[in-house]
Amino acid sequence: MDRKRSFVSLLTASSFLVLSVTGIIAFVQPFSIQVVGLHALIGFLFVGLIVLHIGNNSKHLSRYLRSKTVWLTSGITVAASLLFFWQPAPVKRVLGLSGNLGPALERFEMTDDELSFHYSPSPSYKMALAVRTGETFDVDRPPQVAIWLENASFYHIKTLLQPTESDPDLAVLPYWDFKVRGWEKAKREAEERESLEERMKESGIDAITGATQASSFDPAAYILPPESDVPMPYRLLIEIDQPGDGQPSLVYAVEIDNADPRAYQLLELMGYPKREEDDEEGKEVWALYYVDERFDSALELIDSALLTIDRDGEIHLPKSK
Amino acid sequence: MNSSQQHTDRRHFLQKSVFGTAAAGLAIASTSHASAQTLPAAAEPEVTSDVDVLVVGGGTAGHVAAIQAARAGAKTLIVERNSQLGGTTTTGGVAFPGLFDAWGKQVIAGIGWELVKESVELDGGSLPNFAKVPERHWQNQVYTNQFLYAILAEEKCAEAGVEIAYYEFPQAVTKTHDGWEVDCAGFGTKRRVRCKQIIDCTGGAEVVGMLGFPRLREEERQPGSFLFMLGQAHQPGRNQIHRLYVHGADSTNSRTATEANLTGRKSILAKVRKEGKQLMHLQPETGFRESYRIEGETMVTVNDYTSGRVFDDAISFAFYPVDLHTKTGVRPKPLKPGTVPTIPLRALIPKGSRNLIVAGRCVSSDRLANSGLRVQASCMGMGQAAGVAAALAAKTGTTPLEVPLSEIHAMLREHGQIVPGHA
Repeated sequence: MDRKRSFVSLLTASSFLVLSVTGIIAFVQPFSIQVVGLHALIGFLFVGLIVLHIGNNSKHLSRYLRSKTVWLTSGITVAASLLFFWQPAPVKRVLGLSGNLGPALERFEMTDDELSFHYSPSPSYKMALAVRTGETFDVDRPPQVAIWLENASFYHIKTLLQPTESDPDLAVLPYWDFKVRGWEKAKREAEERESLEERMKESGIDAITGATQASSFDPAAYILPPESDVPMPYRLLIEIDQPGDGQPSLVYAVEIDNADPRAYQLLELMGYPKREEDDEEGKEVWALYYVDERFDSALELIDSALLTIDRDGEIHLPKSK
Repeated sequence: MNSSQQHTDRRHFLQKSVFGTAAAGLAIASTSHASAQTLPAAAEPEVTSDVDVLVVGGGTAGHVAAIQAARAGAKTLIVERNSQLGGTTTTGGVAFPGLFDAWGKQVIAGIGWELVKESVELDGGSLPNFAKVPERHWQNQVYTNQFLYAILAEEKCAEAGVEIAYYEFPQAVTKTHDGWEVDCAGFGTKRRVRCKQIIDCTGGAEVVGMLGFPRLREEERQPGSFLFMLGQAHQPGRNQIHRLYVHGADSTNSRTATEANLTGRKSILAKVRKEGKQLMHLQPETGFRESYRIEGETMVTVNDYTSGRVFDDAISFAFYPVDLHTKTGVRPKPLKPGTVPTIPLRALIPKGSRNLIVAGRCVSSDRLANSGLRVQASCMGMGQAAGVAAALAAKTGTTPLEVPLSEIHAMLREHGQIVPGHA
């Protein structure tokens, strides 16, 4: 019996040690499948061991459960869970320090006078977009908004915020929709090509010729290129539309160039999207046009949009509200 | 070789040349040469031209200036060292002039636009839709047939009454009581031009330099571009043309320009050998981006340019990013939305000069401002304004800077130009 108890206790302790170390590494370092995988699988083992451990110590535990301390510990557990689930600003700041969780913090928040969005592809590259709402922005009936990134060739590379419109057939933000569809198609084609190439390789054929997707589908390849002095500008765009106002959506944009780093940049109104004639290959074409006299209230949806980029931890990014 | 030997040799040659398949052509050539011996030694005729306005340089700004001056009623002569008008657009092959628009509106029109539009329409090409937001700044440049453009420019000159003198360039400029006396030389031609006003459209302010007015030049110039087509046919007015940088390209004088052309062609030959493709098209010379700029009555700074400062004496708009080419390429800095720079009349007047005005890339400006001002549409705008100012000055016996600005603006508007600060 003692041998069984000591086996469970020691194994629980050693797995706890592994969990602790991998937990700290997973928090501090950028995401690693080895570390997180080890942490998760040892975690499952640990859960099993804890069940056995509780069984071995049930007498003590039942005595503890009858004590008044149980109320205190339960309260602490519930409070901590709620705190960490709702993640108020201080908690977010702590999570933001994480090399693993930080990049996952794509936070969008909306208040009466501001839409704010935080995106961090790496602990040393944090973007904060603060969109100050204009006079015609109605919080109770907010407009559809999409925020996305495009590479230097104007291809969509990542959507940061999708419109909330649930009807997929109703593209209220046609420009974003067009860009995303193009990206999804290119990605699909690239995957098919890769799969075909693999099959050809397995069949003993070295390579195939044809159009290849030279561009990466990893946003980090554009946002954080390995050679930062090589100009590889990318763009952040916002498309906004108030359904029912009788005016097309509007597109705002800013170009970001890491080779010419700027901490603060204002987005500029680019124009409104309009579908062109399909090209010679029958592909759908959209272009932006300068706003004309048709636009009035749509121009007042956004007062200003400021992008702040903290590249080395020296800029104090706007706080989330 | 003495005279008697020459005659003997010629006779000998004639006797031989009557035989053989190439005899006829050679005999004619020889006969002509023989008769030339009987002409007086002074074979170069001297031509005298009395005009109101002399335009030196028939390039991007020059031909527009000449047409405008003549349309304004001035007797106008244009001298051009090459064999056609158009300069960078035609001889340089940068046949995609721009930018005529900014932020959804046309900001430069007038004679330059008239020529570009007419050549595109005649060529069955297409004009850009200025209402569309260009993804890249150069997308609203107008694809133009360089060959057609050059001929149309000649036709417009002829219609306006401009006399064209190709292959000529000023050798000396002398001040007279009512203007200038300019000695020009071409092959087989010596021309003395008496004129009231000179418009220097040489690109490098060559006349300004001859007259000893101060000019500015960087120690290192932006690279030039040599345009060609390798492995595919050039479709004028339709497709982009291949180009390579000619580092150190300098259009200061015939020697440096020769050097640039030799360097450019050598690089193209190396490319042909390397790629093994057929050379389908080659422009006759390098397109130069930068040489001398004048020190004018005022100078357009990069801050003036990027802030869209509207000068009190603005005569034309300009629009292009700050676009400084270097050894490693170019990273254009676009202007902020809504910004449209202007060009003041005083930036076209060499400091302290009278009866002299420039137009084109030699406009008085700092280097960064100049990198945006130097493009074709802006130079055409300057050319038209200089043409008006010079014509009105010649008519009233004054100097361009003393012509009332309202009269310059009125005439520019009358001739289709868009004038800053006026509806």
